[in-house]
Amino acid sequence: MTARHYYEVRGWLLASPYLLYTLVFFAVPLVWALQLAGMDWNLIAPQRTWVGFGNLVEALHSPRIWAAFVNTYKFLVLFLPLVLALSVGIALLVNGLPRGGHWFTVLFFLPYLSSGVATSLVIQGLIAVNAPLNRWLVSAFGFSPPWLESPGWATVVIVVLIAWKFSGYYALVYLAALRSLPRELWEAAALDVPSAWQRFWRVTWPNLYPATFTVTVLATGLMFSVFTEPYVLTQGGPQLATHTWQLEIYYQAFANFRAGYASAVALLNAVATFAGVAVVRWLMNRWGRAHGFEP
Amino acid sequence: MVSSHRRLRTGGLYVAALLGSAAAVFPYLYMVLQSLAPWDEVERVIWPSRLTLRSYVWLFTGGETGLARPWLRALFNSFLVSGADTLAMVAFGAMVGYALSRIRFRGARWIESFLMFHMFYPAIILIIPTFLIIRYLGLYDTYLAMILPKAVSVWAIFMYTTFFRSMPEELLDAARVDGAGEWTVVTRILLPMSTTLTTVVALVLFMERWTELLWDLLAVKSYKYMTLNVLLATMKGPYGIYPGPLYAASVVLTLPVVILFLLFSRRFFSGFHYIFR
Repeated sequence: MTARHYYEVRGWLLASPYLLYTLVFFAVPLVWALQLAGMDWNLIAPQRTWVGFGNLVEALHSPRIWAAFVNTYKFLVLFLPLVLALSVGIALLVNGLPRGGHWFTVLFFLPYLSSGVATSLVIQGLIAVNAPLNRWLVSAFGFSPPWLESPGWATVVIVVLIAWKFSGYYALVYLAALRSLPRELWEAAALDVPSAWQRFWRVTWPNLYPATFTVTVLATGLMFSVFTEPYVLTQGGPQLATHTWQLEIYYQAFANFRAGYASAVALLNAVATFAGVAVVRWLMNRWGRAHGFEP
Repeated sequence: MVSSHRRLRTGGLYVAALLGSAAAVFPYLYMVLQSLAPWDEVERVIWPSRLTLRSYVWLFTGGETGLARPWLRALFNSFLVSGADTLAMVAFGAMVGYALSRIRFRGARWIESFLMFHMFYPAIILIIPTFLIIRYLGLYDTYLAMILPKAVSVWAIFMYTTFFRSMPEELLDAARVDGAGEWTVVTRILLPMSTTLTTVVALVLFMERWTELLWDLLAVKSYKYMTLNVLLATMKGPYGIYPGPLYAASVVLTLPVVILFLLFSRRFFSGFHYIFR
């Protein structure tokens, strides 16, 4: 066996776990998903009816799908500014501390370790009707918000909960970016731009663009795959205000046993995710070029 | 004048950091306090009048699932499933990453570009067929049903490929000149140099696996295989009348990852900065 062959064989052998995995858990399911999307099948019965584009057409006429579609963008519009402000704020704060920055970073990062199930339970307990928070709000202001009963407030609860979880994690991305900026930049900025606020908008924020790009793309992908929080807290309600793609796929496939229809919804979700992430990337690239960053 | 101004500013930063981090950890604190509160005070007060372990005792001795101590079993299941998957994901990540970055074989480039596509694919589209595959393989409602579909992490492969490629060739050549075989190069040079990366990769993967809900919810139906995270989500309804134990279960679910993270936090952050530089 020549050396050349030796490398060929070993390369393929070492890569084989990935190749096997891709075949069994990616390629086969992908083809199967496409086939399922054109069928009417309840996951169990032997008979499967071919309905072609029937599932897709039905999905496009379903108010539940449109709710999921609209909610993604509603979440995105609320979540992005909130999580960007929080994570930049945390990064600047921790970076400005002369000592103890590490331990504060640890504290800010802790929410990321939480399980969505556990934190949803805690939040539910915190905003329960007779819990201390609501009793205090009633005594201080005479009312407390209908947290999970009103579409608006339920959306806010879910978005704030996810922002709480991810801001410490995204802050690490900003912190890494801040620390890699050249020292001369701050020295020059301190001389040229006197106000700290102006310095932030004219020097810091534009220079953090690559980190903002990363965080924005990650956060966009995240908003297309929200499941745990609404599953535990609202089951998609009230009035579908927190209904998501993942919830719809889960309910249709494993509660209503409509495997074909759920596959069609999953296909739509995949297309929506690709399109959504592509649009956000395109917008971010445009914005970056305006600030002199080449994508 | 200048120094007093600066001191005031630094003081303000510390106050903001304290308040902010208090908001970050408040739900954790609330969770722990509620889990230790007497049952008539759970969700009624923030600071319990006294602390009791009743919720924990009840959690680990009682249960209404027909199975003795389902919560202890679920904790064990979580460790088993997350541990096995993290080990597999890290080992396969390093192995495939090494092949793609350090072995010249036809197809390596092709596999690598496919990897990028694979990484950003919305996984939800595959969940129903994956469920069907697991069922056809006769693995439904077993540990393997939870472990196998998550045993390879494309992200881990990508991280190791990038990292191994960034290592200077001279270093490896020097070792080879000294008579080191390929195996020695891997175990004595590449792996020891990647401990920081391994910490980040393993911690992130363990955390994600530990809190996975959707797949574990589908893959098994018996209480004896359920992970703690799934049991907590499933038991929320039936245990609604026992909020204390639910808080205790949340604490038990959160504690292992928090301890693990605190042990490795320094190395985790330095590795994270290296990755996102």
